[in-house]
Amino acid sequence: MHHGLAFLGWAGRYLWSGWAGAAGLFCIAAAWQAGHELYGSFILPAPLETAREVVRLAQDEAFRHAARQTAERAGLGFALSVLIGTAAGIAAGYSFAAMRLMRPVVTVILGVPPIAWIVLALIWFGAGGGTAVMTVVVASLPISFAGGLEGVATRDRGLDAMARSFRAGPLMRLRTVTAPHMVSYLFPAWTTTAGSAWKVTVMAELLSNAGGLGGDLASARALFDIARVTAIVLVVVGFALFSEYALLQPVRDRLEQWREAGRPWGVKR
Amino acid sequence: MRLELDRIGHAFLGRPVFEDLTLDLHEGEVVALVGPSGCGKTTVLQIAAGLIEPLRGRVRRHYRRHAVVFQEPRLLPWLTARDNIAYGLAARGMGRAERRALAEQRAAEVGLLERDLDKYPAELSGGMRQRTAVARALATDPEIVYFDEPFTAVDVGLQRVLQDLIIAASAREKFSALFVTHDLAEAVRLAHRIVVSGRQDGIVAERTLYGVPGQRDDRAVFETVQTWMQDPSFADLFDGDRQ
Repeated sequence: MHHGLAFLGWAGRYLWSGWAGAAGLFCIAAAWQAGHELYGSFILPAPLETAREVVRLAQDEAFRHAARQTAERAGLGFALSVLIGTAAGIAAGYSFAAMRLMRPVVTVILGVPPIAWIVLALIWFGAGGGTAVMTVVVASLPISFAGGLEGVATRDRGLDAMARSFRAGPLMRLRTVTAPHMVSYLFPAWTTTAGSAWKVTVMAELLSNAGGLGGDLASARALFDIARVTAIVLVVVGFALFSEYALLQPVRDRLEQWREAGRPWGVKR
Repeated sequence: MRLELDRIGHAFLGRPVFEDLTLDLHEGEVVALVGPSGCGKTTVLQIAAGLIEPLRGRVRRHYRRHAVVFQEPRLLPWLTARDNIAYGLAARGMGRAERRALAEQRAAEVGLLERDLDKYPAELSGGMRQRTAVARALATDPEIVYFDEPFTAVDVGLQRVLQDLIIAASAREKFSALFVTHDLAEAVRLAHRIVVSGRQDGIVAERTLYGVPGQRDDRAVFETVQTWMQDPSFADLFDGDRQ
């Protein structure tokens, strides 16, 4: 009962804090509207026009299928890169030698532009969903890897020694001492990964002609259907906002409630 | 005999900290290890507690459970005071409800209030954090407790309260304790026996105190410390120039 109420209070506060975020988004919409009034519908359709186009597209079965396809690819790419990257990063963080070896590797992989991976994946896998997924995984795996690695490497050795003094096993120490500390390293990495997963998926789809929203974008461009192009962009941005603020942020907020407790009065939200 | 350190020696990066140190701890005995800062007291304690391996010598432990109270509270910032106290019990695999009940009982013993138990360490004062750390150590029913200068960061009044708390707990629960400190008065207040560690040359002096900890009055403690200040074996402790 007590916990239920506390959860409701937290959920209410989280939803309410959405107004501030919405205000920021409406500022962008206002700037967009100004651009539209300056250059006209052919260059930049108005926000309202675009929103209507999104509603129209949402009723189109083919478009819904394309959006689902993109969501599946981005989701799969995100899940794979986060799982593999974080697990490998944690393992490397415990080994000094692995850390030294892997840091430059991370820089090299991050330094290769995603577009190059797309071209390579097209040659390796051909035009299909696999190209998009593989590009997302390769392009964003190092971010999670670096997050996991830094999180483990910067763990508090004093707390670790405390846990060892109570004969806590390695798994318990990972769960109770290292993991809560890693959250503040992993979540920035994961949100970056989520954001780039959408972008890279659409890009890969567009270039490999593999359907999805990217394929839709390619045909809209060929037809000079500007309203459709902006509508697709809006849908992709909507997906990115959803994955960050509806899926990742609430989890982080729940996990880091103890940080809230340490803040002085008046700084809480 | 609960603990035997047999001619242990340790070095950090080739620089020896101490050599040939031998120390025994009997059942129910509180031994204070005093020495100037940098003489390796904490290292001795960490070796005894199994947190680091000695380079030389043997450690024989004739007990099942120990607990450590560190210089800093070392509470997990993401757990409430209650769950921090229960941490050692959780490490032993005790169920949640059972360990929380035990934690509450221990919290009351060290003077923590019920309403403080739901707070995170960041919301507790320094003294309450150290009380929490003491409760966490006692909660596991240890046979030996290792104290590593636990009360250096709290004010004098609270120091006394916490010392009394440990004297009472060790008398009640019959645990042995190795108490590392640089404060001779603190050592005289709460120990059965005092071991003085010098710079580099292991143990330089050993004194068994008369009477029982907790029954020595302040005057006796003060006089003992005054007398020992003249003693050459304790010279390192009071010689700040060489530190």
